[in-house]
Amino acid sequence: MFGYVRPVRGEMKCKDFDLYRATYCGLCRCLRRRYGLLAPMFLNFDFTFLALLLWEPEERFTPCRGRCHANPLLKKPMCPDSPALELAADESMVLTWWKLRDAVRDEGLWGGLPARALSALLRPAYRKAARRCPDFDRAVRGCLEELSALERENCPSLDRTADTFARLLQSAAPARGPEGRVLEQFLYHLGRWIYLADARDDLEEDRARGRYNPVLARFGPGGDDGALALTMDHSLAQMGAALQLGEFGCRMPVLENVVYLGLPLVQRAVFDGSWAQIKKQKIWRSDR
Amino acid sequence: MNDPYSVLGVSPNASDEEVKKAYRELARKYHPDNYQNNPLADLAEEKMKEINEAYDAITKQRTGGGGYQQSSSGGYSRGSYQQSYSSGSSNATYARVRNLINAGDLGTAERLLYEVPQKDAEWYFLSGSIAYRKGWMDEAMQNYTRAYQMDPGNMEYRQALAIMQRGNMGGYRPAGYSSGMDAMDCCSTMLCLNCLCNGCN
Repeated sequence: MFGYVRPVRGEMKCKDFDLYRATYCGLCRCLRRRYGLLAPMFLNFDFTFLALLLWEPEERFTPCRGRCHANPLLKKPMCPDSPALELAADESMVLTWWKLRDAVRDEGLWGGLPARALSALLRPAYRKAARRCPDFDRAVRGCLEELSALERENCPSLDRTADTFARLLQSAAPARGPEGRVLEQFLYHLGRWIYLADARDDLEEDRARGRYNPVLARFGPGGDDGALALTMDHSLAQMGAALQLGEFGCRMPVLENVVYLGLPLVQRAVFDGSWAQIKKQKIWRSDR
Repeated sequence: MNDPYSVLGVSPNASDEEVKKAYRELARKYHPDNYQNNPLADLAEEKMKEINEAYDAITKQRTGGGGYQQSSSGGYSRGSYQQSYSSGSSNATYARVRNLINAGDLGTAERLLYEVPQKDAEWYFLSGSIAYRKGWMDEAMQNYTRAYQMDPGNMEYRQALAIMQRGNMGGYRPAGYSSGMDAMDCCSTMLCLNCLCNGCN
């Protein structure tokens, strides 16, 4: 379900790339400090983006140097711990946990074994995270229950099923004033977009295995890429409109890169099938 | 009030031309067309008001600060952030539903609409408007299409449908993000997203 939200590196300025990488590394360190050695394994582009979104607008980019988790011999610039980074780390843990539980439920007794083992290892970390952001944990649990109920009844409405995941992500925004409203609207459509992209990505597999897929339920066995792309484009447009109303300070160029270039490109890759190859690649590479 | 120059994001020594350019860019960004039936329309309207005031203050200052005020907004301040729902309803319930949508009370609007026994073109149009405001874009598309099919002559329905069919092409994009990536073929898409993957080592 994760990994869709990424910037296009070639279109970034060097300083924006530095900011992105330092946020990634900072979040990695924050996860390790708060949730132990296993937690950074689940770090991905989406959580990095969440951290960038939640950052306090007035906060400047002042990286410190820290030891890399993947290669402790290296020191790298990373964003120091801050309330926003910690919130992103807590919410990442909660999301990771529920994604694992989802996999356990979906894959059955034997197929779900790896996920089951991982979630057993992760349980203490999840407990801690859930204590730190109880509202978010409750919202995620509630939305996922609604979603699985809709899946069971084979819900034909694309919007209704996507709405559950959209509200799930929406609750990641700390509610405060107009800035909170902007974030909520942004995250709602980001969640909606992620859910639809994921549904399109799983289309073939779900068709072959006879599982529920919202795109199949809505458009029939043939699917309808044109209509689906259009409705996803609308969510992208709403994200752009919300983004422009927020105060994001020095992170604005990175966020704009993701929203105006990264997401449309990923969407295209999901539709033409090249995403299947792209998503397999690891984020971490040991060369260099 | 904030410093008008910082509102427009220019230095106080900027030339008139630069001030005007900055103002136009911001006005393009917060233009009502980009926030039609958007739950954040009120915030965009506030921003627009702020930059209009800032631009007016600067032009006033620069033309000598007298009682004369240039009509500077160049037509940008006109236009509404809400669709003009209040007009054109013959039905009393529909008029109330339109008011509720304007006020952002979608739950009540939806309930009221579902009590209407006869579903005509306007019913589908309003139903589409509620869906759009909620972010349920697929349902908005279906309802607008239905409204248009039932009454193809109605400008309001036709316009709503045209906006839906436009997708992501309409709204504001900052300079440098205009959809240049569209020309990219499949292989370079691969390459481009591959770049990101070693982005974090």
